[in-house]
Amino acid sequence: MGLFSKTEPGPAPQGGSQRTGSESGFFGAKLGVKGKISGGGNLIVMGRLEGECDLNGDLVLAPSAAATGEIKAVTITVSGNVTGNLAARERVHLEKTAVVNGRIATPRLSMVDGADFNGEVEMKKPPEGPSAPEPSADVSGRIAPPRLSMVDGADFNGEVEMKKPPEGPSAPKPSGKK
Amino acid sequence: MVKEAASGTTSLVSRQIVVEGEISGEENLHVDGRVKGSIRLAGDLFVGANGVVEAEVEARNIVIQGVLTGKVLARVQLEVQTAGCFNGESTAGSYEIRDGAVFEGISKMLNRSRRPGKLQPIVSPPETQK
Repeated sequence: MGLFSKTEPGPAPQGGSQRTGSESGFFGAKLGVKGKISGGGNLIVMGRLEGECDLNGDLVLAPSAAATGEIKAVTITVSGNVTGNLAARERVHLEKTAVVNGRIATPRLSMVDGADFNGEVEMKKPPEGPSAPEPSADVSGRIAPPRLSMVDGADFNGEVEMKKPPEGPSAPKPSGKK
Repeated sequence: MVKEAASGTTSLVSRQIVVEGEISGEENLHVDGRVKGSIRLAGDLFVGANGVVEAEVEARNIVIQGVLTGKVLARVQLEVQTAGCFNGESTAGSYEIRDGAVFEGISKMLNRSRRPGKLQPIVSPPETQK
């Protein structure tokens, strides 16, 4: 059936994360989605997500969310667990409770102290970004701190490996690599 | 009515969202967008007026205002509302198909003990004297 063959024209409003015109989807904590999510509008995920997500809107992964796979959206806010790649057209924000293992590609990245991130960051500036502030910090390379925070506007390209201190109360099980 | 599940959260596949794959969970789901694949819920599935679902579905109640195509199992009831369209094979505990609704396909009853012919007496039996 051709029900799903036609794509929505969906004139996505540009600029800013306040897409007032689009409604928000919501996947509750006890819902799991395996496969491909696409389309427009914003989405809040509280449950499991496995596969591919390509959203023309804002994606929020709540603290209870666990996502694996390729995730693309205009903005991505993570408070939950992600294993995989995050690609944002505008920005990625990692909240305190976020645990991300994978690769982040975004023009803008911010990260609250307490967020756990292991992986690679690639910050590509859009060709002409009038809204993008001049980077207050510009770091390239590899950093391996136990804790890391990052303010929106900072520019970082490279790899991050976060080793939790052994007696950390919230320290997850150490990986085999010591 | 049981149809509007009062308990549990209801997830929403909003109008512009397309899900291709498997959705499963303990809650209710409202689809205003498109879902292709399979849906398994402990709760109810509600296909909104804009919703298009092409999937194998298992849910407690299934209420269709939009379009649902596929093989479905409604453990309690399948309801096709006035503007709703169902096409496929369904098994349900009971059916409610409103005037104007489209139902094309096969329907089976889940509860085989409720056969026609086993009518309940209209007059209730006399009360036992104390």
